[in-house]
Amino acid sequence: MKTLLRWSLWLWIALCIVGAFLYAPLAEGFVGQSSRILFFHVPMAWCSFVAFITAGVHAIRYLARRDPAQDRAAEAAVQLGLLFCVLATVTGAIWARVMWGAYWNWDPRQASIVIVLVFYAAYLVLRDAIEDPSTRARLASVYAVLGLVVSPFFFFVLPRIVEFTLHPDSVINQRGSVDMESRMLQVLLAATVGFTALFFWLHRLQIRISTLRMHRESEELVS
Amino acid sequence: MWWFRQVRAVFVKDWRTELRTRHALHTIALFAVSTLLTVSLALGPAGVSAETRTSTLPVILWIILLFAAAAGLPRCFVAEEEGHTAAALRLTAAPSAVFAGKCAFAVALLVGLELLLTPLFLALMGLEIADAAMLVTALVLGALGLGTASVLVAAMVAQARGRGALFPVLSFPLLIPLLLLAVELTRGAVAGSLPPGVAEQLLLYDASLIVAGLMLFPVIWNP
Repeated sequence: MKTLLRWSLWLWIALCIVGAFLYAPLAEGFVGQSSRILFFHVPMAWCSFVAFITAGVHAIRYLARRDPAQDRAAEAAVQLGLLFCVLATVTGAIWARVMWGAYWNWDPRQASIVIVLVFYAAYLVLRDAIEDPSTRARLASVYAVLGLVVSPFFFFVLPRIVEFTLHPDSVINQRGSVDMESRMLQVLLAATVGFTALFFWLHRLQIRISTLRMHRESEELVS
Repeated sequence: MWWFRQVRAVFVKDWRTELRTRHALHTIALFAVSTLLTVSLALGPAGVSAETRTSTLPVILWIILLFAAAAGLPRCFVAEEEGHTAAALRLTAAPSAVFAGKCAFAVALLVGLELLLTPLFLALMGLEIADAAMLVTALVLGALGLGTASVLVAAMVAQARGRGALFPVLSFPLLIPLLLLAVELTRGAVAGSLPPGVAEQLLLYDASLIVAGLMLFPVIWNP
């Protein structure tokens, strides 16, 4: 059953890649083939969002129940979230070079993703600096929750500093409508589903790795 | 009443030990003044040109305050751990009272620093203030948030390795919204006009940090 699921995930993502290049049409008003980055950049940004929410939920659960497994799940989610976040930032910057002429121009989206990157990198640095496992889990969870408290302020603050954004509309924009050619939308939604499944699969693998590593370390201590 | 007596006791104790060694006082004051002198000297006799003065100088003021806080405030918990007085403090006072007392101490220290630094800054940089009440609002609300966040992070850092370097890494991502809002408010005080809602948002940021701190500090403080 697991093997079947894994193979169908691989097939699904392969189909998304093929669909992104052959099935979906190009969007109007974009340089060359650059609009195809949509099918990879948006799911990556979405996945990092899902990952950090997952990490926050596990951190709160850890603080409520003090179950070390929850803390390992939060750490794994942050690691993967950072990976997807870096990928989204880099693909976004490359696309910005093609479309806007500069890799970086402090567009509100670029500003917010960089602040998120710095915050969760600090979370991992904090973990590295504490040796005792229960202290590490406790303080890292507190820091993750503090991040959830502070982050809403960026929604007020950043748009005022740079009033305009060149970033294309979100799929669901402020008008509440979906302005996208239907084949593009199909591929985008399929890719988003595929990437989300990929994230949860990687998340489970990462938790298994850290659990095994912990068991090995405790066995080494005993022997 | 009992709680307020504890808060006052922690506050008075911190000031008493501080006035005996004057470690944080001297570090913060000298750091801020020497940074200000360096910046002013490097800018030269002409200073910043009149057109860019309103937008750049408030940034310099708040960067100096932020770095001065990072240089002096981590001491307040590291000293408790190193002097082995943390256990006594845990036994005698409620965690929320320790948090409130330490915050009151940090905020008082920062307000004292601002009383020293701001007039010097305005004189050296030749900055005219159009709305003095708004400047005071920015400084007081900024000190409140900066002190609260510093106390929370300092309590975490005191339990980790590499304490000195870890403090800025952890606190700066949390303080980005505060810094942006305080800079905006200070710019408003210089220009005499302000986009609506900035002071309210800064107040909201401070309030949510204080509430989050009261809830999370007991978790940080009690092993």
